[in-house]
Amino acid sequence: MSITSPGILFVVSIVAGFIGAMSGMGGGIVLIPALTLFGVGIKHAIAISIVSVIATSSGAASAYVRDGVTNLKVGMFLEMFTILGAIVGATVTLASSDQPLFIAFGAVLLLSWGTLFVRKLKHADYLKPADPVTRWLELRGGYFDHAENQQIDYEGQRGWLGGPCMFGAGFIAGLLGIGAGALKVLILDLAMGLPPKVSTTTSNLIIGVTALAGTSIYIAAGYVDPGLAAPVIIGVVAGAFIGTRLLKRLSNQSIRQFFLVVLLLLGLEMILRGFGVFGHGV
Amino acid sequence: MNPTSSPPDETTARREARLEHDMELLVGYILLAGVLVSIAFLFIGLVWQYVLTGSLHLNYLIAGMNYFDFLLHDLRALFHPAGWDPRVFIDLGIASLLFTPYIRVVSSMVFFATAERNWKYTAFTAFVGAVLTYSLFLR
Repeated sequence: MSITSPGILFVVSIVAGFIGAMSGMGGGIVLIPALTLFGVGIKHAIAISIVSVIATSSGAASAYVRDGVTNLKVGMFLEMFTILGAIVGATVTLASSDQPLFIAFGAVLLLSWGTLFVRKLKHADYLKPADPVTRWLELRGGYFDHAENQQIDYEGQRGWLGGPCMFGAGFIAGLLGIGAGALKVLILDLAMGLPPKVSTTTSNLIIGVTALAGTSIYIAAGYVDPGLAAPVIIGVVAGAFIGTRLLKRLSNQSIRQFFLVVLLLLGLEMILRGFGVFGHGV
Repeated sequence: MNPTSSPPDETTARREARLEHDMELLVGYILLAGVLVSIAFLFIGLVWQYVLTGSLHLNYLIAGMNYFDFLLHDLRALFHPAGWDPRVFIDLGIASLLFTPYIRVVSSMVFFATAERNWKYTAFTAFVGAVLTYSLFLR
């Protein structure tokens, strides 16, 4: 395992952290392709990435939570499902060969992008009465939107569907060492009908605990290299800090557009690598 | 600030809002403190490594121990300044980073149980805490 320069790694990590915070996806989705380009084995890259995802998530979530946008109960309910998924996912990665992991990474990126692309922007009725299960789960809330200068109250929907879907998002997170924030946001948004900012920030909170569950498996297997993880973590947190400051000043619309562009570029990059057009490939 | 002491004339809605706000502060500051402590340790370790060797290269793996062994090992090293080296600080940075979401879950559970007396969410967070504790004991 050789790394060209920890300095370059540090800069790459700043960019990854920034994109991770802005999109709610976590930094891993940029970090893993970059680390493998620098010659790190994909399983080691996944292990380093998932540790750094804890840092991105916690750093950004600390600000979002104190702002009162994150829905803690929604997050804590769904974490029950994501941690189990992450443990299973990480276990599968350890048993797998490298090639399926590259393919899975590209596929998840494209899937995330495709799903967001076909999605219609709607001004949903966030106060539609919830089903009895979701009401029992207390998945409602409200926050003051500084960009729109108004209070936004909402009722979460279909908690019974969101939970099991989150097992899948956790599985992807543990499998690929990413936050899988795009999938989590999608579930919070489409299945549970939460406003975009609540989805993004709550996803960020869930990502940290999910990444910890995945990390525990990679640590037990001896895949975490602290010397390599250290510059990555510092870079990712610095990037996330900048991203968080910026996110607070943007409206929902601009978050979404940024999201789409980032996913499209990364998806294209992974397809090209999958076909061996550039990069080390598999 | 004692979150359990509510004024006698407080309405249920206001109590809920106040508890939610308390919890947001608790979780928010735990996450903030955890990340800052972790970054500080990692930063000290990396700078020290650079000063010692002129390079940031420091490759080794955490092997043969579970997370709690790793954490205890690092804490013991912290209290023996004679043996300090860059690795001690980098290990402490990693250990405290992993501890951050863990302690967030545990303290949320305590908050739900004591301040909010919400048995549902006490059980949910206890489940998450138990699974994490188990998986962090794996080696």
